[in-house]
Amino acid sequence: MTTTQISQALAVFRLEWKKSFFARRGLWIYLLALMPIVLYGGHSIIQIKIGRPCDFGMDTTIFATVFQVFYLRLLVFFGCVGIFMNLFRGEVLDRSLHFYFLAPVRREIVLAGKFAAGLTAAIAVFCTSTIMQFAALYAHFDSSLMREYLFHNNGLAHLGSYVAVTALACLGYGSVFAAAGIRYRNPIIPAAVIVVWEAANGFLPAVLQKFSIIYYLKSLCPLEISPDVPKFLELLVVNPEPMAPFLAVTGVLAMSLLLLLAGSWRLQRTEINYAAE
Amino acid sequence: MAIYKRGYRTYSGPLTRERWRFLVLTRYAWRTIFQSRLLTAFFVFSFFYPLGALLAIYLNGNATILSLLHQSSELLVVGNKFFSVFIAVQGTFAFFIAAFIGPGLVAPDLANGALPLYLGRPFSRADYVLGKMMVLFGLLSFVTWLPGLLLFAAQAGVAGHGWIWDNLWLARAIFLGSLIWILILSLLALALSAWVKWKVAAAALMLGIFFLGAGFGQAINLILRTKQGTLTDIGNLMRVVWHDLFRIERHAFDFPPTEAWIMLILICCGCLALLAKKLRPHEVVR
Amino acid sequence: MTDNASYSRRISFDDVSKFYGDVLGVNRVTLSIPPGITSLVGPNGSGKTTLMNLMTGLIRPTRGSVRVFGISSSDPERFFREVGYCTQFDTFPRGMTGYQFVYSFLRLYGCTALEADELTWRSIERVNLVEAAHRKIAAYSKGMRQRIKLAQATCHGPSVLVLDEPLNGLDPLVRAETIALFKVLAEDGMHVILSSHVLHEVDAISDQVIMLSNGYVVAEGQIRSVRSEIREHPMQIVVRCRKPAEVAAKLFEQEQVVEARVHGDGRGLLVKTRDADSFYRLLNKIALNGVGIEAVAPADDDANSVYEYLIGSEETAR
Repeated sequence: MTTTQISQALAVFRLEWKKSFFARRGLWIYLLALMPIVLYGGHSIIQIKIGRPCDFGMDTTIFATVFQVFYLRLLVFFGCVGIFMNLFRGEVLDRSLHFYFLAPVRREIVLAGKFAAGLTAAIAVFCTSTIMQFAALYAHFDSSLMREYLFHNNGLAHLGSYVAVTALACLGYGSVFAAAGIRYRNPIIPAAVIVVWEAANGFLPAVLQKFSIIYYLKSLCPLEISPDVPKFLELLVVNPEPMAPFLAVTGVLAMSLLLLLAGSWRLQRTEINYAAE
Repeated sequence: MAIYKRGYRTYSGPLTRERWRFLVLTRYAWRTIFQSRLLTAFFVFSFFYPLGALLAIYLNGNATILSLLHQSSELLVVGNKFFSVFIAVQGTFAFFIAAFIGPGLVAPDLANGALPLYLGRPFSRADYVLGKMMVLFGLLSFVTWLPGLLLFAAQAGVAGHGWIWDNLWLARAIFLGSLIWILILSLLALALSAWVKWKVAAAALMLGIFFLGAGFGQAINLILRTKQGTLTDIGNLMRVVWHDLFRIERHAFDFPPTEAWIMLILICCGCLALLAKKLRPHEVVR
Repeated sequence: MTDNASYSRRISFDDVSKFYGDVLGVNRVTLSIPPGITSLVGPNGSGKTTLMNLMTGLIRPTRGSVRVFGISSSDPERFFREVGYCTQFDTFPRGMTGYQFVYSFLRLYGCTALEADELTWRSIERVNLVEAAHRKIAAYSKGMRQRIKLAQATCHGPSVLVLDEPLNGLDPLVRAETIALFKVLAEDGMHVILSSHVLHEVDAISDQVIMLSNGYVVAEGQIRSVRSEIREHPMQIVVRCRKPAEVAAKLFEQEQVVEARVHGDGRGLLVKTRDADSFYRLLNKIALNGVGIEAVAPADDDANSVYEYLIGSEETAR
């Protein structure tokens, strides 16, 4: 990349980050990120009111379960649908994509700048949510117990893993939906197909499992899920052959890169035809 | 001839009767909808399961075939569970059809300011909503209760005298269960479409409400150690109602059917309120 | 400038066709557009916007190639430094002021903040929008939006300026100013390519025209030379003189003259001829005989007449 191209990517980023963070259209994404915080906060308030904390281990397992089943698969997933599909589809709807296409910038640079802006927003929103969920869940426990967990029982490492997995999920799903947003006029159909594909991951043959983001993310989650969950949820998250973390991270990175390359290839062939929308 | 000499004459041809005028919207919408090959294919695909079920009923009641298969008794019991599974499967197809079509029914009219064109004619808001709802009602009926009742009739024919009178309540359950599901899906699709005025976003919201609702319900149950969380899961609410209608035993983690009925009524009221607020012939531009 | 150099500074279409599925956009267009103001003229749906979008790479040809100064739009870093396009879309990125709109996209060109600021103000000044520069574009009038688009298209100093209906929505005063601006830019050696429906304006500003109908280029070049090539419609020339009947009689001696109609006031006549050059030579001779010729002017070598002859009949026939 030349210096000019870097400054161009930064210029795209500057134009886009505000849209990703502050667009009225994206308000619901904040609500998605807030949902589990409210639930955990509510749980802590109830426990404080009744005057006795829950079983620490059980809460930790519940966090692991909700994180895998609900947070990653649904909230981060749909949040990424909103943020990343909007990168190009939103411009087409606003009929303003041609301004980018008429600037002396390679289209892959536009994609890089836009993707970086979307990723920054997604990571900021969802990683912050992960940290706040963690804080809200354990708010009703005694501070000495918390210190013990955080500094002597891998609590911080767990939190770090959850944040890293969230960031990787944003990257993985982000690249899926950025590419889908370039390719498809109606992104809902691919989103529906992908949500079913990701949900069915546990039931797929081993080779096909590798073509999903959740396959790699499952291996990076630090704790097993709660045994109390309904059977069908257990089937969703079961991971009979966990991968080494290094391989899992590499897997997500490689898949994202491939998807972005495919998106870039498609973007170079994209024509402006707002009338078709 | 000069324009001023031409004069205007009012239309004196035949008019659709006022009572049935809402069906004009339905007719035109159906024509547009089936231009989508994807939807047509999906619609056809949704008949595979009823056809399979029909075949199963036929085989099940045919003594010759059963003897060829060395079966002394019936292969499957065609009763409440059979029809409840049928409704659940076809209900899923109905959901995807509603999510595909519903958002496109109202949003484009609102986005393009077409509502005054409708309401500037002898056509009320109720007619408009009814006309649009009938689009879904018609299509979803073909997927749910119509084949359901056909299967019921087939089983009655195969099982012989007496079965139909002993199981008439099943026909009522098929019809009522489908009707409620169609009503919920139609109202939700129209309300979301009117709310966001962008059919893609409305479709996403429709998917989100069902998928996220299900997940959110499970999360509430886990975190707050309750059973009431799944009240946010519309799919689960319907499952409880269907089980109630088909007289299937409740699971230990199910909430009472009354709660499900109340939640469904509240959802319908919410959708109607949203439609009443959004479907107006004028708009305040901020 | 040598011939080769001047040829390389042209916009060339080489056997270009564009189909939207089964619908024809433009078909088999071969053009070489020189500097100056070139107007694209044609009825709605004739392919003007398609031609402009092809020229700027917003759409790709189904067949053939388009190059601006030998550069293809698949090399955007070079291509768009030469080209500015003011599209017909009346839409802008959300929430921006006029200044932010021009400035932000200048940063995409790789300009530093200081350069971008300077260029932004220069282009905003050029379109007289300095006072409204910090207002949201959403609050602009139609004319102001048209002008800020023009500022954005010209801010980086392109050599080719493509304008799709640039005079739409402008009031007469701003219209005149904008036309003057186009003329200045063209005099500086810029290629200005615009589409318009207002034929008398096309006449007033264009160095050459490209006429399109149903996706085909039906004529290109200077209006006068295009007109002279339309054989089926004889040239119409108005002659004001003291003795029109005498002039008419003499003119009929030439077989190219097909009609001469004396004006009602008896002070002139309208002549239709198939060969304007020999007509003018004959008229010179007649003038020497003291018929008192006061004025001679072509009556139908303007864009309006050429449009009517080439496209109007087709449109009527459709």
